[in-house]
Amino acid sequence: MRKIVYILFFMVVAVNAQTKMSSSESTTLKAKVKAHATTINTLVSDFTQYKHLDFLSNDIVTSGKLAFKSPNTVKWAYTTPFKYSVLFKNDKLFINDEGKKSDVDLGSNKMFKQLNSLIINSVKGDMFDDNEFDILYFKQELNSEVHFSPKDKEFSKYIKAFHIVFNDEGHVVELKMIEPSEDYTKIVFNNRKINTSLSDAIFAE
Amino acid sequence: MRYLLSSFCLLFLACGSYPKKQNFQIEQSTTSSFHNPYFSNASKDYVYKANITVYDNNFSGIFIVKKLGDHNHRIVFTTEMGNKIFDFSFVNDTFKVNFIIEAMDKAILINILKKDFKVLVEEEMFIVKSYSLENTLIHETTLDGKSYFYYKTQQLDKIVRVGHGKEKVTFLFSEISDTIANQIKILHSNIKLDIILKSIN
Repeated sequence: MRKIVYILFFMVVAVNAQTKMSSSESTTLKAKVKAHATTINTLVSDFTQYKHLDFLSNDIVTSGKLAFKSPNTVKWAYTTPFKYSVLFKNDKLFINDEGKKSDVDLGSNKMFKQLNSLIINSVKGDMFDDNEFDILYFKQELNSEVHFSPKDKEFSKYIKAFHIVFNDEGHVVELKMIEPSEDYTKIVFNNRKINTSLSDAIFAE
Repeated sequence: MRYLLSSFCLLFLACGSYPKKQNFQIEQSTTSSFHNPYFSNASKDYVYKANITVYDNNFSGIFIVKKLGDHNHRIVFTTEMGNKIFDFSFVNDTFKVNFIIEAMDKAILINILKKDFKVLVEEEMFIVKSYSLENTLIHETTLDGKSYFYYKTQQLDKIVRVGHGKEKVTFLFSEISDTIANQIKILHSNIKLDIILKSIN
């Protein structure tokens, strides 16, 4: 009997390794992330993307570089195992698929428009919008993890929740987009550099 | 009248059998079935970079095939950023759409994709007739009432769906290493739909 109590106790402890934040802790985190986001003029980071599909033996791993320029220009450039980039700029989406270029007018595409603002806000970590998301705050050792569930019914057909992990400085270190099926895309950021001068060529169409 | 006659002649020519038009020689087949090896290993994740061109729209992304058991395959297409575009299951003779984005949720398109992908994952084909052309062996088979011709030189390198003696869909397998086709092209001749797959794992 005592053994069972111990086991139960440890199970509870293990589950609680990620604990809910108090409201003052979440207010502090929001303030920290927002303050940090407003100082970002440019940002570059390496990223590794893990596409998890439950039925696969291994996640599909792709990687590349992310570049952001305030207020709303973002480029995701995949370099491995293929060369592919998407550039969000002036309400348009420019695609370069191994040299083959195309563009999409975001004005006509609500889904892409939402994706664009989400990407920018999540890069900056500033997506604490209670009108758009149900938000839950957790702490895990030094990091914080925030779960954003879209309130928009159309949007939640595609993405059930975004989980963003912030380090103790309030920088985004991991972004996970979870589909209604529980399959997910996880993006881990590395070598983040803020406010370095970026050549215009990076954001050329 | 002459016009009518020549029309009949044309019609006759057009309806001539595919093997005849291709100058195939009939061969005595030694086996009754043919094995398509390209998606037959259940321990492997088949992952391709894909370009799908429908009329003048180009969709690129990641195309994933997984064998989950005998007569059980899952096919998923996502964007490069991981968003699912479609997710299909082929189990025995049933086909299920697990997910598809609204923009592609059209019965006609789904039906075409279903027919194309079924050819990719169908492993054992019953041989109706066999032919040869130079150093290529060609097996005629049927799948869901349609005629297919499987071309094999060293390996299976082409499948053609034929209707009324004409090529309707051509599947090309190239850069083959062992049992993996590193490049696959699915080309339609009666509609503007091409699917190009390049292995990335």
